[in-house]
Amino acid sequence: MQPVATALAFQSVTKRFRNGRVALADVSWSIARGSRTCLLGPNGAGKSTSIRILEGALRPTAGSAELLGEPVDGPGYAAARMRTGIVPQGPGMYTDLTAREYLRFAAELYETSPDRAIATFGLRDHLRTRLSELSGGFQRRVVLAGALVAEPELLLLDEPTVGLDPKASHEVHEYLRQVMSGRTVLLCTHNLAEAEALCEDVIILREGRVVLRGRLGDLRRGARSRLRLAVHQGPQALAARLNGFGPLRVVGDRVLLEVPDPEREAPRVLRTLLEAGLDVYECTPLQASLEEVFLEAVG
Amino acid sequence: MSVQLQLTRPVRVLLRKEVRQFLRSRTALLTGLLLPTLIMVVAPVVQLVAAAGGSSAMRGTTAVPAGVPGMSGLTQLSDVFLYVTFPLFFVLAGLMTPSLAATHTVISERERRSIELLVALPVSVTDILTAKTAANLLVAAVTLLPLFVVDAVVVLVLTHAGPLYVMAALLLVLSSLTASIGISLLLALVARDFRTANNLNGFFVVPTMIMTGLCVTLVPGLWRFVVLSLLMLALGGAAYLIAVRWLTFERYLT
Repeated sequence: MQPVATALAFQSVTKRFRNGRVALADVSWSIARGSRTCLLGPNGAGKSTSIRILEGALRPTAGSAELLGEPVDGPGYAAARMRTGIVPQGPGMYTDLTAREYLRFAAELYETSPDRAIATFGLRDHLRTRLSELSGGFQRRVVLAGALVAEPELLLLDEPTVGLDPKASHEVHEYLRQVMSGRTVLLCTHNLAEAEALCEDVIILREGRVVLRGRLGDLRRGARSRLRLAVHQGPQALAARLNGFGPLRVVGDRVLLEVPDPEREAPRVLRTLLEAGLDVYECTPLQASLEEVFLEAVG
Repeated sequence: MSVQLQLTRPVRVLLRKEVRQFLRSRTALLTGLLLPTLIMVVAPVVQLVAAAGGSSAMRGTTAVPAGVPGMSGLTQLSDVFLYVTFPLFFVLAGLMTPSLAATHTVISERERRSIELLVALPVSVTDILTAKTAANLLVAAVTLLPLFVVDAVVVLVLTHAGPLYVMAALLLVLSSLTASIGISLLLALVARDFRTANNLNGFFVVPTMIMTGLCVTLVPGLWRFVVLSLLMLALGGAAYLIAVRWLTFERYLT
């Protein structure tokens, strides 16, 4: 089996700003080529700082970061940047450049043509409009097109839908699904639905530290998996019978029972309840949502 | 990390963008042309024309303090203009014109946060600042050098100053322009908005004008242009060192 190549890596990265604020504290993580990873965390967790280090705009105070196998301060970094598309978080828009001029400018820097990206993002009818006069959704499409003019193998997305209305967010998600296919993607967001919809792996940051990382499915399974149960005799009778199986909580006429592996535990619990004469009409294994995983991780 | 005027491909692409944006800004064009024209052409030419005979009150000889080294030998009014006030105009124009351009190219990008768009593209912060500095210099040179040619013609026609004076004055203008590289870079790294940028401009211009005033009164003949040029280069070098050694380019982004 061939070793999986690393697309992005942080090794003991610390970033301390001039005002003394520590944005990242001894952070280490890496993501494999071809994976779609979400960097998740509340505001101030260090997500954008991580992107800015990878785009070469900020330097780590300590540690090192790699982009497509090249150290960000190394001689091969410029070439790695040419194979990377970056969508910054809510950038300001030029008042004196049209969409066509901006995309040509981006394409010139990537040494390519903007035509394909213009077609992919449906921008043909808006090329003569100044960037600042486009709607929020179209502005985001232009920025995405700018990041994708060179068909990069790596995409860094920093809150790509922040500030957009639900319709525009949905459109951007559709475009992202299209362009993320076959690429390595690092998506920074605090939008859990976005992370769940677009990524398979997650790294959760809190106050500049990695608090959790792994496959989204594994994390969900590992975090407070539960069985939801209901009986005709009512939740109190059910709760009395479930004592000893694990922590439980009564929610309305149902009981949530915390068990390590709900699918494996369900038959045993169900048998016990039926043998005790309870009329069970619901026994559903529940996987933790990403929201629950996130809240558990960040407190 | 330092800004070196190496016109690599990304810098050339960025430079074209900067110049295009500058030419589209009416405010930048107006201030970038009007002020240098007033300082470099209108004020000096009016003085020389008046001294040459336009006004009888202005014509003829003048009395200047004999004990001041920079003033000795300046018996004609036109000499006082050529050797005392013109250096002030040249230094002022050489410093102010790139600073006006820098205010537009550097500060506006930061204020409207379009700098985020730039750093997301495959360019370094060094490329961005090099292109902006080159754009400021280009705009200033394209504005000032034709204005200087007007001055040179007027000086050669209306006064007894020869080509050596013109060469010395050109040296001063070019030194002031060079000094403005360091100053506009410092401005870029420190000023967060137009008001701070204007305050910083004042911070540099006032002491520089005092230094120029002292130089023209203390250094005789054409040497004042040479000494002033060296002082301008030293000032620009100091500003450049402060910018790249004690400040970081992160300041421009954060």
